[in-house]
Amino acid sequence: MVNASLSGPSIQTIIVLIILATVPDPFDLWQLPFARTAMAELLLLSVAAGLLGAWVVLRRRAFFSHAVGAATFPGLVVAAATGFSAPLAALAVSLAYAAGVVALGRRRPGRRAGADRDHLATALLLVAALAAGVVLASDVFTSGAGVDRLLFGTLLGLDRGDLVLAAVAVALVATATLALGRTWAALGFDREGAGTLPLPAGLADGLLLALIAVVAVAALPAVGALLTTALLIVPAATVRLFAPSIKTLLIAAPLLAASESLAALYLALWLDAPPGPALATLSAAIYLTAALARALRSPRRPTRGPMFPARESPLFISPGAGNIGSPGGRGDT
Amino acid sequence: MDVLDPLLDPWRSGIGQRALAEAVLVAAICGALGFWVLSYELSYGAESLAHGLLPGLVLAALAGLPLLVGALGGVAAAAALVGLAARDERIDTDTATAVVVTGMLGLGALLALAPEAPPRLEELLFGNPLAATAGDLAAAAALVVVGGAALVALHRPLTAVALDPGGSSALGVRPTAVRLGLLLLLAAALAVAVEGLGNLLALAVLVAPAAAVQRHVRSPGRAIALAAAIAVAASIAGLYASHYLDIAAGAAIALALCATAALGSLMPRRAQRA
Amino acid sequence: MTAPLVEASGLAAGYGGPPAIRELDFAVEAGQSVAVLGPNGGGKTTLLRALLGELRPAAGSARVEGRPAYVAQSERTRLDFPVSALDVALMGTLAGGRWWLPARRSERAAAARALERVGLAAVAGTPFGELSGGQRQRVLLARALVQEARVLLLDEPLAGVDRPSAEAIESLLGDLRGEGRALLVSTHDVEGARGFDRVLCLNRRQVAYGPPADCLRRTVLEQTYGSEIVVLEEDGRSLRAVAVQHHDH
Repeated sequence: MVNASLSGPSIQTIIVLIILATVPDPFDLWQLPFARTAMAELLLLSVAAGLLGAWVVLRRRAFFSHAVGAATFPGLVVAAATGFSAPLAALAVSLAYAAGVVALGRRRPGRRAGADRDHLATALLLVAALAAGVVLASDVFTSGAGVDRLLFGTLLGLDRGDLVLAAVAVALVATATLALGRTWAALGFDREGAGTLPLPAGLADGLLLALIAVVAVAALPAVGALLTTALLIVPAATVRLFAPSIKTLLIAAPLLAASESLAALYLALWLDAPPGPALATLSAAIYLTAALARALRSPRRPTRGPMFPARESPLFISPGAGNIGSPGGRGDT
Repeated sequence: MDVLDPLLDPWRSGIGQRALAEAVLVAAICGALGFWVLSYELSYGAESLAHGLLPGLVLAALAGLPLLVGALGGVAAAAALVGLAARDERIDTDTATAVVVTGMLGLGALLALAPEAPPRLEELLFGNPLAATAGDLAAAAALVVVGGAALVALHRPLTAVALDPGGSSALGVRPTAVRLGLLLLLAAALAVAVEGLGNLLALAVLVAPAAAVQRHVRSPGRAIALAAAIAVAASIAGLYASHYLDIAAGAAIALALCATAALGSLMPRRAQRA
Repeated sequence: MTAPLVEASGLAAGYGGPPAIRELDFAVEAGQSVAVLGPNGGGKTTLLRALLGELRPAAGSARVEGRPAYVAQSERTRLDFPVSALDVALMGTLAGGRWWLPARRSERAAAARALERVGLAAVAGTPFGELSGGQRQRVLLARALVQEARVLLLDEPLAGVDRPSAEAIESLLGDLRGEGRALLVSTHDVEGARGFDRVLCLNRRQVAYGPPADCLRRTVLEQTYGSEIVVLEEDGRSLRAVAVQHHDH
């Protein structure tokens, strides 16, 4: 130690000082006017989306929440072209999409085998919506920046109207959690055996979808149509990895979402990028780190029946395939 | 010869010819492969891979590398991450996949939107058939040859495993190997298709034609041939629309492809034999 | 004496945790049929998979002559996949080898003959998914026949099958025994097991293996089925037992 002090500050100190010198001072960033608005918006959205996200993860509506946000893209383009209110246009499109999903779901009640086919229909609808938006956008936007803002959100362009919408979303989600939380939980656990519920199952689920649509619309200005899931799903999924009770999930998910949002905002201000991509990258990285930590710590999972593994993985390479002995081998084993 | 002029006008330029060649080649192989993508219920996986490869595209664009290279790298990374994320039994695979897709889309956008001279993100997302180079054509041709040969050789095992995975393994067909082969083909097809259609729309050329024919055919061979033909026809129609209506070519093709799926699902099912 | 076509010795197998089946010790000669009885979850399907080579034995060994043919429960197949009955029967030829080539004419003829044997020549061109459950089961049997395997493993071939198909299947099983093949048939039909050469009673472990007269007794059946069996009457010679049927999906 004596030798080190003779030669000056240690290497570690120098590195830390260099880092501190290059990254912007948070307080300087805080001075920027739009930063405060963005922060308020993101915090409000974190509460709404984090809370609702707990239900999205518990009720397995991840794909829907991604699709409903992305589907608003053509509506947003039209709104930009005609001066119509963007949130209203987005809300109309997203609720229509939710209604479509419900209708499709009724035609094919709960068949597990049809799951991918339902995905197929909604995925193609999504492609059509995105393509339609692009076609319309080439008339509306002269540069790509307009489309980028619709798809990935903006740091600079948030206004009071967006804050109000976010606050309304918080209120709606909080109310719905209090009123419908137990029903949603019962349905998620055992749909058929749920017994008498305060609301018919179809209505409760429909309200959940409608609420997801509303929160996605509220999140559009900040994170963009393609990245609503960064707030809605990723923080809640991260918390869920640790298998908490529903109550803990409902508290921890918004908290995690809020902290990730603040960090992402800082990152976005520093890099001069929209907050949506920053949040998406950051929150997903945290999730994957947590998942990796769990995978490394827990013992190898027991395999499921190798002949008919659950066809759940989208890439379905039968996890546990290593246990299937090659059928070519015969004779004494 | 006036009658032919409108039909031939879009193809008079080198750009137009390359766009046509690329679109036809990609449509043929992807339309054919799409039958298996649907039969093996891989459309959600395909979509996740397509969305998830964006960072690869952006990095390639930033580094000046061919997009194909970025796409292949992106697909590999996306597949690995989806595999990792889906391992945990506490999270259903839909959610885990959505997390990875969100992260990758965000990362791609972050890389593209942050730097001073961003790559044209729209072209990566939505494609640009009119930018097809000779290299792209070569890649598409290679995919058609290799992929086509693979589909022909694997036809019987693919059929057996699609019908009855459990029973096929008793026949000596290995479902895991067959699925792996299919996934590799899918990855290669996506990597080639994103050049023209972009990573958000590429799914259309894979699954829309197969979705259009699925309830109307009686054998896999016929389904594959018909799907490929429909894919090619829709792609050409999209290019015409793009030329005459002055709209984005990739989006026009994607819309035409989605329209075929809609038409196919609305048409009444083939009358069943007594 | 020729070696048995199927031989298990101290066999235990499972899916990674504790073995689902253990202490299996039996041998099946050519021309013998074995009915495998046991409750659901008792390991009948596990045994068949172990004999197929899909599961590595956790202990002991299993030996099967050649590649066995396997007819799984029909519900597991996809019914919306566009293949005809003949196409499905033809899949049996994949066991022979050159899967990367299209089927030869001789292979098509063999598939057509197999369909005739199961009585379905008339519906060779019908889409597989449009056939009745019993007909589908027979098509899967035809596929197994095309394989020309000496050992056939059948997983509940009569479950949920209509009367005409059941009769056709039973008659075919009789013919197959006469051809010197070995059959293992898992079944819930305790009474029907009387018609087999041997009965293997399985409830996670081998409860009994031997001629029906030895195995289809009250004590053995109660050990096998636990509370799932209802023994109706026992007179001097015959025992009527009814196994409670479960349909798992």
